[in-house]
Amino acid sequence: MKIALASDKAGFELKNYIKSYLENEGKGYEIVDLSEEPAADFVDSSVAVSHAVLDGKTDRGIMFDEYGTGSAMASNKIHGMVTANVTEENTAHMTTQHNGAKAIAIGAGIVGKKRAESIVDEYLGVEYAGGRHQIRLDMLEKLY
Amino acid sequence: MIIALGNDHIVTDTKIKISEMLKAMGHKVIDVGTYDHSRTHYPIYGLRVANLVRDGKADYGVVLCGTGVGISTAADKNQGVRAALVADTTTAKYAKEHLNANVISFGGAVVGEHLCEEIVKTFLAADYLGEDDDLVKKIDAVEAKDNPDQHDNPHFYDHEMKLWDEGFYHD
Repeated sequence: MKIALASDKAGFELKNYIKSYLENEGKGYEIVDLSEEPAADFVDSSVAVSHAVLDGKTDRGIMFDEYGTGSAMASNKIHGMVTANVTEENTAHMTTQHNGAKAIAIGAGIVGKKRAESIVDEYLGVEYAGGRHQIRLDMLEKLY
Repeated sequence: MIIALGNDHIVTDTKIKISEMLKAMGHKVIDVGTYDHSRTHYPIYGLRVANLVRDGKADYGVVLCGTGVGISTAADKNQGVRAALVADTTTAKYAKEHLNANVISFGGAVVGEHLCEEIVKTFLAADYLGEDDDLVKKIDAVEAKDNPDQHDNPHFYDHEMKLWDEGFYHD
């Protein structure tokens, strides 16, 4: 599975920590780091992740900033994008199953390193369930 | 203030508690539903709240579903709406003060009763500080145009609901 990562300055250290975590644990992910240097702000980093996923260059994305909510707010403006601002493990798991979340946002000022590890494991470890949930995604797809 | 309130069927009980709190604080609540536990679809209610905020018929919106992800995403995909999904008061305050968020969202099945109430209270009590106009404009400009049919259109989801009623969507 290919995973896009990007971050502004405030999320940069956690982005690099999670990048190493995903690369070094034999998890089998291919990481596409869109922020070798910090983006100018979370709008740029979250939009970069969104386009990587929506254009099919990666399967999922993870966005980092200080609070998480800004990256989700900016990227969800994009047609077809579904980004979940996640602070705990259950939402990371559920949003994949129910929302088919194309990306998650993590606020480095809110979520610590160990919880961030669990969040990305939960997010990446499950698949979208489809079925009754698909009507909601079709409804979201009509919103631009 | 006038607060638009929307939810899906998973968190109707939490919505009612938030509604009662807001009314006790002296706010006027426009509850767009859903009103019971019958299975329904979060984009319907996220869009209704977004329309009220966008049209200036409500000052702010509060939206909740199980995780808050689906309904906040639906609300956010509307011109002039900035929906913030949060799970703590620190982020709720930041979203108003720096992002000028006008819709607050949380996971009604994830965040407990007392913290939900604090999140809404904190969000409403905070003021946009006016320091981040360029950032707010940049967020709004990410997708500057909407589907013209999505604004104030009660029949926007008729096609999907017809398919649902015909059994097209099933587990």
